[in-house]
Amino acid sequence: MLLFLNVLFPVFMGAVLPLFHFKSRILRSVYVLLVTCMTSALAFYNVLTSSADSAFVFLHLTEKARCVLQLDGAGKLFTALVAFLWPMAVLYAFEYMEHEGGENSFFSWYTITYGITLGISMSGDIITLYLFYELLTLSTLPLVMHRLVNGRAAAGLKYLYYSLLGAGLAFAGIMLVFFYGDSASFTYGGVLSSLADAQKPLLRFGYFLAFLGMGVKAAVFPLHDWLPSVSVAPTPVTALLHAVAVVKAGAFAVIRVTFYAFGPALIAGTWAQAVPFCLAAFTVVFGSAMAVKEKHFKRRLAYSTVSNLCYIVMGALLLTPQGLDGAFNHLIFHALMKISLFCACGAIMTRTGREYVAELHGLGHSMPVTFVALTVASISLVGIPPFIGFVSKWKLAQAGVLAGSFYSIAAPAALILSAILTAVYLFVPICYAWFPAQDIQEHTSDEKMDPSWRMKLPLLVWCISILVLTFYSAPLQAFIADIANGIL
Amino acid sequence: MQLILPSLIVFPMLSAVVSYVIGRHSKKARNIFTCSASLLVFGGTLWLLLMALRGEQTLEFHLEGFCGMGMNLKADGFRSLYVCVAALMWAGTGLFSPQYFAHYRNRNRYHFFCLFTLGATLGVFLSDDLYTTFVFFEIMSFTSYTWVAHEETPGAMRAAETYLAVAVIGGMVTLMGLFLTYQALGTLSFDGMLKAAKALENRNGLYLPGALILFGFGAKGGMFPVHIWLPKAHPVAPAPASALLSGILTKTGIFGILAISLSIFREDAVWGLVILLLGCITMFLGALLGLFSIDLKRTLACSSMSQIGFILVGIGCQCLLGEESSLAAQGTVLHMVNHSLFKLVLFMCAGTVYMHLHKLDLNDIRGWGRRKPFLMICFLMAGLGISGIPLWSGFVSKSLLHEGILEYVHEGAAYAGIAKAVEIIFVLTGGLTLSYMTKLFVAVFVEKHPTRQKEFDENRHYLSLPGRIAIAIPAILVFLFGLTPSFSMRALSDLAMPFLRSHSHAVNYFSSENLIGALKSVLVAAVVYPFIVRRWMMKADVKMGGERYINRWLKHFDLEDSVYRPLILGLLRIFGCFFSLCDQLLEKALMPFLMTLGSLIAEGADRLMDGLIVPCLEGLGTFFGRILDTVTDLSVIGLKKSVMRTRKPAPRPTVGSLLAFRIGLVLDRIILFLNHTILRFHPIRTKFVPVIAAAEQNVLETSRYYSRTISFSLLMFAIGLLIFLIFILR
Repeated sequence: MLLFLNVLFPVFMGAVLPLFHFKSRILRSVYVLLVTCMTSALAFYNVLTSSADSAFVFLHLTEKARCVLQLDGAGKLFTALVAFLWPMAVLYAFEYMEHEGGENSFFSWYTITYGITLGISMSGDIITLYLFYELLTLSTLPLVMHRLVNGRAAAGLKYLYYSLLGAGLAFAGIMLVFFYGDSASFTYGGVLSSLADAQKPLLRFGYFLAFLGMGVKAAVFPLHDWLPSVSVAPTPVTALLHAVAVVKAGAFAVIRVTFYAFGPALIAGTWAQAVPFCLAAFTVVFGSAMAVKEKHFKRRLAYSTVSNLCYIVMGALLLTPQGLDGAFNHLIFHALMKISLFCACGAIMTRTGREYVAELHGLGHSMPVTFVALTVASISLVGIPPFIGFVSKWKLAQAGVLAGSFYSIAAPAALILSAILTAVYLFVPICYAWFPAQDIQEHTSDEKMDPSWRMKLPLLVWCISILVLTFYSAPLQAFIADIANGIL
Repeated sequence: MQLILPSLIVFPMLSAVVSYVIGRHSKKARNIFTCSASLLVFGGTLWLLLMALRGEQTLEFHLEGFCGMGMNLKADGFRSLYVCVAALMWAGTGLFSPQYFAHYRNRNRYHFFCLFTLGATLGVFLSDDLYTTFVFFEIMSFTSYTWVAHEETPGAMRAAETYLAVAVIGGMVTLMGLFLTYQALGTLSFDGMLKAAKALENRNGLYLPGALILFGFGAKGGMFPVHIWLPKAHPVAPAPASALLSGILTKTGIFGILAISLSIFREDAVWGLVILLLGCITMFLGALLGLFSIDLKRTLACSSMSQIGFILVGIGCQCLLGEESSLAAQGTVLHMVNHSLFKLVLFMCAGTVYMHLHKLDLNDIRGWGRRKPFLMICFLMAGLGISGIPLWSGFVSKSLLHEGILEYVHEGAAYAGIAKAVEIIFVLTGGLTLSYMTKLFVAVFVEKHPTRQKEFDENRHYLSLPGRIAIAIPAILVFLFGLTPSFSMRALSDLAMPFLRSHSHAVNYFSSENLIGALKSVLVAAVVYPFIVRRWMMKADVKMGGERYINRWLKHFDLEDSVYRPLILGLLRIFGCFFSLCDQLLEKALMPFLMTLGSLIAEGADRLMDGLIVPCLEGLGTFFGRILDTVTDLSVIGLKKSVMRTRKPAPRPTVGSLLAFRIGLVLDRIILFLNHTILRFHPIRTKFVPVIAAAEQNVLETSRYYSRTISFSLLMFAIGLLIFLIFILR
């Protein structure tokens, strides 16, 4: 019941937000922040107290087709991540949205999306997951198309088309699980029943379809194109939704489908592992290479997301507990790093109006807080030890090495290549910012341009959590290892 | 007690933060703080070294879960020695830098990263497994980037770019090597790797990971062919940073190479040969570059590269010799220590020059060192040391390395011929070293500047007391070590033997063989300096009034500019092109293809609809439509015929036949006549023509009507019957 409340509360409160006709910004901000914080608190409470056995069925269609909310280990991890990031992002959005306008509808949808994302993380079976997955597309669409300026309408349509394609593909695969599945709720190792033995080739194909379908949101190569396009959306949207909520929901859904629905046993060692793996590994390098080419800073970060998401997908597709361990690690760590990067980028854009990498010359000295956060997150994302990005990459590569066959070369090679490219596309702007060429140095003023505390606080919190996790992440690591080994 | 190891790493990093905070408020307090912090660290390491010298138990420290794999630190003899050297370098430059940086910007940044790098460097030297080494190695690489970029001039930025690229690529390649090593051996700890590699039957799988790791560490060490950053970065970095880069950071690379050479590839002749040859090339090329250079710090940087080559030769010999590697091992470790000390002195001397003149070109700084006996003596100590002149410490280490090679040659093993060639190059390089050091010494301390000599001579208070101490101590050490090798240097090299997996071995340092070796080098220099440096590398300059040093090195003969940069940029471009091609293909080809396919299908469907289904439907529709139509029509007609019948129109006035007309006409005339006569007052108005005609019509109609009815036929029948009766009855 509390789980359902946790999903329903933000959706409802978000939906009724426009009815209040808030006269002042502060009042609305307080309302939104209050709703978000309460939801987060409830989510944390659920994470701590809820057990995997207590499922809540909120929609009973037939004996098998039910909508179930349930929190197992993986769900807890994702729920905690979302609940940690969302309030900060909302705080950040307040200042950012002041110059965008249309805040009523924006925060309304923003809050609704929170509930739906929680729904994804708490969904207990594949039907529920699919339900929320589709709802997520619909609820984020108004955010992407916010105010319909700057070609956002076109980007939004692109997003919608890709998502619908994904929905169609995923549906086909999911129906197969539904028919050949044993139990309704997610189980580590898959839910397929003895009926499935005769239909393995069909199910593998079904898995492939489901992978592609969920892969749309995880931006796997042929279906990635929407992600860089939607970077025209307001930064809080891109930061939270396209670095954390939507794309991570995609990656999370891929993990769910792979490990908890179809099960590794079905696909291990077949084409249904190899083809998606190759797509993911290709995307890892592809995203980084495109990011190097991209001159627009925010789009560059979007391509970086394309690449990094596929780290997670690639880790999951190794189909070993170690791979899943690495994937979950990167899921958490990348969320932290990327949201810091996007928010720092948004801060730069709002405060200075500079959008291109070459325009960042010397900004480090006028926006020190922003750029320190940017630098810490970048170094971590490149995978410089001992930062967290290194830890997750190390685990992924090690899992690849241990996975055997061609994966043991392909996975580390893709990771290393991508890491070098990551260094190129992230260190160049940072070096520009901190060590400007001398002729530009004279033009930069000493005036401090850092944003106000509402933007700085989230940046600092994320930055500090990166550092804290860098030096002490043992409980988290143990928790993730338990999930990956199917204990939780 | 073990906690001293991690605290040696953490303390400098914390004090880096503290120094930054202090530096925001007071420059002077910060200088005092950073100096005392590095001195404190030096004290700690010195204590470690003394413990090691007294033969106390080795300290070890393990931390589970650090960065996913755990951290293993150990302080055996070699590590204690080297952390002590490192801390000495930092303490020395720390004393020297306040004066050097007096007019610099961003000093807070320098001190912050300087202390941070100290912590990381100590971490590298204390590490007991490759993973820990790598973690600290990477931190060190990136924090030291700021040193190179510190001046922010275009040249510095370019060098920093190279440095960063080498650090990133080297780091990642090493990481790949670590993955593969881990896959092959299942462990990364130094002792574990030795055991696992020994147990392995087929060792061929180890060469690739080994080569990858060598690439990364070699790049940091300045090994050919990945030395490119070294000659560029040192001249542009501030002098204290150059001293550290050259004296210590290169040694971290050497430490990594030592770690794998003495564990995975111990007694592996092929590996030893590769290292030997790479070392030989590095050694010779560095010396050659140094000889050609006319920039004070660049010469020193190239010299660093050359000395790294000497050390690599020592490592190569150790791998080749295996069990008998004592001499080479001693030479390696002693040369590492010596080189750190030499470079500390030399770079700080160069820094002293630069801080007053802001120039490094030998032609500009010529004669600046005249009448500065302190600077001259210190420079001379280090110069003689690095050139391997007997009685200075360099002689001892070089002799040991030389003997190491000779030992291998005398053993007559497989690659003895190659080793012989290496030995010749070794001696030759020794000569070149002496030549370029002579060149520097003569230029700075002997020759006179054509125009500014007077001004130079008057500059007597050129160095503060802390700076003097910082330069003097290592210079004295160089001389003391050289005078008492069997006491001091022997003790140091014995300390390192367990790490180098060798055992100590009595050596006669001043044997005739060694002295002859040194003599050979001096002879080479005696030829090279007067005939090549003074003749070919100098040119008379009329304007300046004297001779100028000129750079005879071919401009385009630069590995970085002509090979690596185009290669990397090209690769990046090709990469970008390839992937954007994929993207474009997706966008321009696959999507249009899908679109076309989609539209074709749609069009086909459209045609099908138009051609078949629509007519069918239409036919059906028409059919039903007709039926409906008919029904409607019929009902309308029915209605028309029944309820909604239209009325008959009024009868038209008829004209009638000619007879009726005549009758009517006649009647009309009669009426007209009567009206004029009798009926004059009541005339009859009726016109008889139409009345007659109507009557006629009426009659006709009626007759026609009756003629068609049964009653008419009955009437006719009755009339006929009547006529028949009359006919009968008549």
